[in-house]
Amino acid sequence: MADSPEAIKKHIKLYILIGATLFACTVLTVAVAKLEFLDFGERGFDHVDATIGLLIALFKAALVALIFMHLNSEKKMVYMLFGLGLILAFCLMAITGFAFSDPIYYKDFFGR
Amino acid sequence: MEIPYIVEPRKDTGLNNSKIGIWLFLASEVMLFGGLFSGYIFLRIYADYPWPERTLPVLPGLINTFVLIGSSITVVFAWVSLKLREWRKFQIYMAITIICAALFMVLKGVEYNAKFNHQAIRLDDYTVIEGHAHPQGEHGEHAADDGHTEHAEASHDPHGPKKNLNITAESLQINLRRVDDIYYETLGIQYTEGNFVLADDVTLSDGSDLKKGTTISKEVIDQAKEDFLDAIANNSEIDIWANREAWKAVRKALPGKRYWEKDVKELLAKEIKEFKDGREDDYLIAVPALTFVPSSGHAEISVLPGWGKLSNPKQGEKGSLKLKDQTVITGITADSSITMNVDGIDFRHTVMKADERGIDPTAAINNSWLLKHENMKSLWEKHKLITAKLAEVLKEKDRKPSDNDIYRINWQEIAYIQGVAIEDLEKMSHEDIIGNYPGDLEGIAGPVHRKHKDYGNEEARGVEYPAITVPREQVRFESVFSPRWNTYYATYFTITGLHGLHVIAGALVLGYYLFFGRKMYDENPEWLANRVEVGGLFWHFVDLVWIFLFPILYLM
Repeated sequence: MADSPEAIKKHIKLYILIGATLFACTVLTVAVAKLEFLDFGERGFDHVDATIGLLIALFKAALVALIFMHLNSEKKMVYMLFGLGLILAFCLMAITGFAFSDPIYYKDFFGR
Repeated sequence: MEIPYIVEPRKDTGLNNSKIGIWLFLASEVMLFGGLFSGYIFLRIYADYPWPERTLPVLPGLINTFVLIGSSITVVFAWVSLKLREWRKFQIYMAITIICAALFMVLKGVEYNAKFNHQAIRLDDYTVIEGHAHPQGEHGEHAADDGHTEHAEASHDPHGPKKNLNITAESLQINLRRVDDIYYETLGIQYTEGNFVLADDVTLSDGSDLKKGTTISKEVIDQAKEDFLDAIANNSEIDIWANREAWKAVRKALPGKRYWEKDVKELLAKEIKEFKDGREDDYLIAVPALTFVPSSGHAEISVLPGWGKLSNPKQGEKGSLKLKDQTVITGITADSSITMNVDGIDFRHTVMKADERGIDPTAAINNSWLLKHENMKSLWEKHKLITAKLAEVLKEKDRKPSDNDIYRINWQEIAYIQGVAIEDLEKMSHEDIIGNYPGDLEGIAGPVHRKHKDYGNEEARGVEYPAITVPREQVRFESVFSPRWNTYYATYFTITGLHGLHVIAGALVLGYYLFFGRKMYDENPEWLANRVEVGGLFWHFVDLVWIFLFPILYLM
């Protein structure tokens, strides 16, 4: 992480560039959802739109985390703490997938 | 006491303590929001109704995204300014950040307000209609089926009750175990106005009498409730004693036998009966309910819809209104219909249910209750025409209209087509038609509805959408667009509400550095810089959550 005034000054342009990229990506996300010629897959919302929307969001989040939150040059301890939180959150999301094997969704469960 | 490692890093971690603290907190926040997003995914995948895709107005969400990204940049620059020891610049950047936070919350408030004033009804055949319900007049209000609303009897108070459950009461039974003070205190005025009196003489367990004709009052109910609770406590005590004594006798008579054996069960039943019979005189008569009748034979009662349920919602028929505190009001169902200006029609749920039942979806829509009304049928015919035009346009690109295109009529469409003849629409191209729809800016937080809020005010601007009166028996479920309406809005309000609280908390912390940071700056500028970095990390996290929330809730 840049800490000396000289190094920080060098980063100012980068912060502006990242900010502009974030604005541009936001416009792109809305354009993909709203504009017909950017609507990939079937018309309206579908899994293709979901994938594109989430990939753009992921890219934006990565920029914020890496540059604004200085995760591109942090100490090992920070990666360990935040990484553990991220891994557990993803595990939690994956658990929802187990619901597919819940017998209540079997067609003949309770004679439905 | 001096706190260690607030500026210089610890040797073992390489970080100062406040930074370790904030990253620990952010890790817990990731798991908190991760849990909420998991909930959202689960509810969406397993939803048993068509998920409301892209129904939120995008513009406020988009502006808020810009605002938060902008504030993320300014908070970085505030930190940079401190590192470069430029106090004045720090103040400016931090002030902009806090203004952005305030702007974000104002827009959120506008958005929430629009939702809480927007009514939705799921009809009995699963058609969903959206709009603005009229305030209920003194005797309810009515809109003619031709779409014109009769203003004469309507209340002019836009915040007045909109869709109460009304009944002409002939009797009122109050359950003394469950009667709730809030319900009684609220409805008590109506009971007193209806001059409800006790239907019969009632002798309480303490020997006192409540005479027939006694006027209803909280004191009478409290007295009877206390007496009832005392009586059942006394009777339960005797029952417990009888059971205990009976078990003692059984164990003595049949040693070593287990409780499931037949002779044990038979003897136990016999013993219990004997012990109870022996104390027959000790039992008190518990009066579980009091019945009141209006002295004139009938009285009008009006109840908020969330407070109870009509057994027979059809106007003019005999039925009862059961409140959540088990109070039962029996009588003739009065007009409990909902009059609203419709700014959204959604047949997707109707189609989903028709598919489940193996019915032709087109037939299900054509037979729906809503399309029996000329003004609604006309909207649907126009919509079908527009969808056909859209299908033609899309055919050239080898694409088809989506379910949303086919089965949902949104507010922009209704705002325009309601005033245009179908013959005129036929002559127009699809592009020309949608070019006439109101823009996003016009309905920044949803349908333009000012006319309905300022009900009765002819000067009010806005679109007057076609009106319809929905009889209560056609209503399967109704709610404003609150968490109660469906799981989508429940998650929307939960996650955005929690995120909003984070924005407020972040703004308070950053505001503290702005207004009270000078002393810290004079003492040790690096100390304040570290504090602002830590506050900034939290602020970036708030931005990061919104980066996911915006597309997921507004665009998917």
